[in-house]
Amino acid sequence: MSNSVISVISRFLEEYTTKTSNKLKVVDAYLFYILLTGALQFLYCLLVGTFPFNSFLAGFISCVGAFILGVCLRIQINPDNKGDFLTISQERAFADFLLAHTVLHLVVINFIG
Amino acid sequence: MAQPRVFCLVLLTVALGAQALTPSHHLSLSDVDRLKGLLSQPFTDLASAYYSIVGLSKLGASVADENDACQFLKAQLDPMSVDSLFFAAEASQAIADCEVSIFNETRDILLAAVSEDSTVTQIFRAVSALSSLGLPLASQEVVAALVARIAKEDNVLAITTALQTATRLSQQAELGGILEEIEDLAARLDDLGGVYLQFEEGLEATALFVTAAYTLSDHADTEPPLKEDQVIQLVNSVFSKKSWDSRSEAFSVACAAAALSSNRFHVPVIVSTQGPATVSHSQPILHLLVTDILSNPLASANLLVESAQAVASKSVVLSQAPFSLRNGIFELNFMASQPASGYYQFTVAVTGDSRLVANQVELKVKVSTEVAVTNMDLSVVDKDQSIGTKTSRVDYPFKAKGSFTADSHQNFAMNFQLVDANTGVELTPHQTFVRFHNQKTGQEVVFVAEPDSKNLYKFELDTAERKSEFDSMSGTYVLHLIVGDATLENPILWNVADVVLKFLDEEAPAAIQSKTLYMPKPDIQHLFREPEKKPPTVVSNTFTALVLSPFLLLLILWFKLGANISNFSLSPSSVLFHVGHACMLGLMYVYWTHLNMFQTLKYLAIIGSLTFLAGNRMLAQKAVKRYGQSSTLTFFTRSTCEN
Repeated sequence: MSNSVISVISRFLEEYTTKTSNKLKVVDAYLFYILLTGALQFLYCLLVGTFPFNSFLAGFISCVGAFILGVCLRIQINPDNKGDFLTISQERAFADFLLAHTVLHLVVINFIG
Repeated sequence: MAQPRVFCLVLLTVALGAQALTPSHHLSLSDVDRLKGLLSQPFTDLASAYYSIVGLSKLGASVADENDACQFLKAQLDPMSVDSLFFAAEASQAIADCEVSIFNETRDILLAAVSEDSTVTQIFRAVSALSSLGLPLASQEVVAALVARIAKEDNVLAITTALQTATRLSQQAELGGILEEIEDLAARLDDLGGVYLQFEEGLEATALFVTAAYTLSDHADTEPPLKEDQVIQLVNSVFSKKSWDSRSEAFSVACAAAALSSNRFHVPVIVSTQGPATVSHSQPILHLLVTDILSNPLASANLLVESAQAVASKSVVLSQAPFSLRNGIFELNFMASQPASGYYQFTVAVTGDSRLVANQVELKVKVSTEVAVTNMDLSVVDKDQSIGTKTSRVDYPFKAKGSFTADSHQNFAMNFQLVDANTGVELTPHQTFVRFHNQKTGQEVVFVAEPDSKNLYKFELDTAERKSEFDSMSGTYVLHLIVGDATLENPILWNVADVVLKFLDEEAPAAIQSKTLYMPKPDIQHLFREPEKKPPTVVSNTFTALVLSPFLLLLILWFKLGANISNFSLSPSSVLFHVGHACMLGLMYVYWTHLNMFQTLKYLAIIGSLTFLAGNRMLAQKAVKRYGQSSTLTFFTRSTCEN
């Protein structure tokens, strides 16, 4: 049982390192960073308490929102998905990513207190 | 269908009208004296002489020295002035044997003043002077002049003066038009709460109007168009002020008083009691005074009680009983009808003169009596009724011989009856209190004794139940019975007995408790909201570092992946874009620390639009570059494939 899990994981990792383009790997690294940050914030909240609850929410939602936007960007710039996004060029995806982030950051800073 | 409704409306107005208004103010004898006093003050000029002399004559008095006054008038007279002639002529008429000398020119001067070009006051003074001096005048011309002037001077005082002028004219003259002015003027009066009716110009104007209206009505022999209620309201307005500011005001009030007490149509009547309106067995006669507004007794009046109704039981005790007149005071022996003690609503009517106004008066009369306490029985009753009760009879005003002892197993009881000393009828006065007074501690506890259905008063003290009122202080209490009521002439405070009360648990600091009631209470400290517990700084610092650490990881990963900025084109738009983007992030930080949303949005709009334009340009350039590359690639591939 564990054998098949390990083999699946190793196969996945192999395919990932070879098949995915550098551009996507850059975005993946960014997503991983966001994930770690969010997880650490959540850990802090679990351990120490929710004292400035609004601050915790702002930080956590910032991570969640950024992750989602990053995922959107990755989907849109993946050349394999070109058929689904005929009207959206890579530059357009990036511009949308930036605009959405501006709004997200505005809201987060407002809420952080 | 409309008829029953109209009938109801008529009935309602009749019912409301039946509640007649009676004067709330009039001039008592002391008020009349005060008025005379003000008018008797020494005068320095003709006008004040006129007010004093004529005013006093209206009140039936005269100046101190008549000869002196007459000499004064003659000396002060200026035969060329209409006003001077008016004051002197009128004042001399009021003094017996006083004649003001006239010259040939006098008549001409006075007649010249009677024209459409002089004011109403001038016309009035000229006409009055002419008539007082016995000089002839043409009434019709005066009427014409007055009518013309009224049209021009449409104020209250002018019209009142015109009315006064008309009283001096011959009765054959056409005074109809001027008489109508009374009604028009009455319509201008202000109704204050249904009690007062006066001109906004003040008391003097109202008083002068009253005088003029009644004098003219008498002169023209027509009833003035004033309703009964209006007359009473005018009386209230004119006589509510009891000290007057000026001689002319006092004069106007005196004239009004004279007019209202002796005109041919409306004479308001005042019915008042002599002393308090109380009768009792010792004073069985009710005395009433019937006067006019100057407090002069009315000569031909008869007083009749239409009904006397008890306020409590609403039963009519007396009906259609006449008062008898003795020495100017009307008397009625009310106790002869044997009324029970209490309050009675009397409706009395004054008859005998058709001119009387407000001749139905409502009075409240009190019948008081003396109370006697009978059958006072004191007893100590055992709670479980095992031992027989010990009852002792006490007679007022004596004290019970022994003292009564009651402990927690016993009740102390008191039974008595309150009767009318004269008639023997049972009474239920307002206040029947039983008071326990501890001589040693000064405690005083008061209870109410209540009557049962047979008007027998019972009071029972349950020692165990009531111990909180006594603060459980055992000891000897002096017992008093207090009886009082407004209709009792002899309120009772009777020391009945001494009662020894024994309580179970004695709480000592009873006296102190009463003192602490009025001492300042302990301070309440305000507790501010505690701030929430924060984790220690070390912990939060650690976690801050921990949360920022993934960024380092990201940089390492990017470096490993080979992400670089080698493709960075130094075109102005890309530089501007990056600078703008950095500014936006910096703005976020500044928003967190200093700004509010509105300011941030403003800055964001500026920076954002710049960044957008630059970014758009930059990305378009990049796109062009990318398509250019891919198109060359496809061209190359195609061309190689073709080969």
